[in-house]
Amino acid sequence: MQIELQRVAPTYIEPEKISTSHIWNEVLVFQPGEKIQVVAPSGSGKTSFIHFLYGMRKDYSGTVSYNNQDIKTFNAETFAVYRQQHISIVFQDLRLFAEQTVLQNLEIKCQLNPFHSESKIEAMARQLGIESKLNKPCKTCSYGEQQRIAIIRALQQPFEYLLLDEPLSHLDQVNREKVMDLIAEEVSLRQAAVILADLKPTDYFKADKTINL
Amino acid sequence: MSLTFKHIAPFLTTGKNKASRWLSYFGLGIGVLLLLSSIQMYININGLLKNKNPKKDGYDYIPVTKNISNENMAQSHAFTEAELLELQKQPFIDDAAAFLSNKFVMKANGGATLPFSSDIFVESIDEKFLDTLPPSFTWKEGDQVIPIIIAADYLELYNTVFAPSRDLPQFSEKSLTSLLIGIDCEGFNGTERFRGNVVAMSDRINTVIVPKSFLTWANNHYTHAGNPEMNKILLKTRDANNPALLSFLQEKDYHINKDKTKFGRVKQVLQAIVSGLAGFGVLVILLAMLLFSFYLQLMIARSKENLQLLLTIGYSPQWLSKTVSKKWIPVYVIIILCATLATAILHWSFQHLVMNNRDELSPFIHWIVIAVALLLLILSIVVNYRLVRKLLYKL
Repeated sequence: MQIELQRVAPTYIEPEKISTSHIWNEVLVFQPGEKIQVVAPSGSGKTSFIHFLYGMRKDYSGTVSYNNQDIKTFNAETFAVYRQQHISIVFQDLRLFAEQTVLQNLEIKCQLNPFHSESKIEAMARQLGIESKLNKPCKTCSYGEQQRIAIIRALQQPFEYLLLDEPLSHLDQVNREKVMDLIAEEVSLRQAAVILADLKPTDYFKADKTINL
Repeated sequence: MSLTFKHIAPFLTTGKNKASRWLSYFGLGIGVLLLLSSIQMYININGLLKNKNPKKDGYDYIPVTKNISNENMAQSHAFTEAELLELQKQPFIDDAAAFLSNKFVMKANGGATLPFSSDIFVESIDEKFLDTLPPSFTWKEGDQVIPIIIAADYLELYNTVFAPSRDLPQFSEKSLTSLLIGIDCEGFNGTERFRGNVVAMSDRINTVIVPKSFLTWANNHYTHAGNPEMNKILLKTRDANNPALLSFLQEKDYHINKDKTKFGRVKQVLQAIVSGLAGFGVLVILLAMLLFSFYLQLMIARSKENLQLLLTIGYSPQWLSKTVSKKWIPVYVIIILCATLATAILHWSFQHLVMNNRDELSPFIHWIVIAVALLLLILSIVVNYRLVRKLLYKL
């Protein structure tokens, strides 16, 4: 699978921001296995960029394509196939099931198209220090814990692209390192590409390319 | 491991609003029971009230005239060609023909053997409508003997009422056919004498029938005005008790012999009652399905955020629709199965306890009832699936 951007620009952003951007209105191709870091200050469109790539928003000009197919033409079923098999995501706002337990949040993704056995969930939770929270409702976890839950959830499926939107914003140094180690390990297992958007270059992420938005 | 409803159940708010869910189940059950029982009763009525009159060739023959009331007495009561054609076109009428009657004065006398004299009337109809047609029932111009077919009832009336009152001899059917009576026809050409010979009796037609060739000739010969208007029509139908036929005749204000159609009138009323009941059953089913659809809409609205998130993380809307709607298939199966069983028990009780095991009714429910139950099951599943799918695609 290959993701390509052809002169993509949000329809709501000021023209001067577009002209200074290295992403908006440019032609970009993200190859499998690449580690891309997108850096930009708050409010410059990082989350919009990640959402455009994931097909969650259509308020942009230009074309985002998967395998040379404009994703604006995809229906919900086609997106479901890509999201089960080719592309995974950690949202900035995490998007967890607040009322369900941590384990249910992870299992619901694992059961859809499992890459690991369910026992791996516990191992990952232990690795990131949240194994004691597995049977607790998600809403009782701190934001940092929820960030780690969202990351583990994203790693339960096969993918060729992993989209990360400020995934470490509420983590301390120790947990940042643990999370990035786990991500690197899982990405390497799948030989997948990572596109990470953050406010500044992320520690412990060895990017092949850093693009200023 | 394949995904099932069990996996997504914790993410859906299904437990709330139990009352409306159970009420819709109950309503669906009652509605299906009403509908299936009505269909079974409809079939029972048809079976029990089939035409009881013996039919020689599988058809009923009904004479039809126009109703004569105080209000329309002065008008013509003849049928037009268009009205005859309309009758012939009806799907429940197999054939129809007009009677032809005499338009001149006819008198019969029995001569020395049978001392009586009376004005008479005669009629003709297409030969295909006659139940007995001896080869001698023909007439051509110049023939002095007119073959006659009379209603079997007439001979009975003559032998039991007329003959004893006048001290006249009684006749067997066979002896009557050997008798020749005098027939005088009066008109423009004066009075001419013919001889009449009863050649057959009819159980079907309650009149005096002569060959059409004679009556057509005689009407022209004695009146110079041709045949009279069509005042009476004979209908040939598979079932004189067919409610559609009776409704049509009522609507047209045509008069028929009520005895021939009495079962039909009873059937008409019963079928109307049962149809009303079936209509009520359909209404209850619709209301129950509507109530259940509200429950589903509420469930999906309450689970909206979770369902949206499931779609966002890669769950297919089609899979979700199928899985969510499949959850209620066993419920529908149980409800419709119970209603069918209840119908079978009711029907069995009716056949066994009310009808005393009469042969016309099978103790088992008709296959149409089972087919309708299956159809309702399929319909419920499809409607449910389409509703859930529509709601999920809207998210």
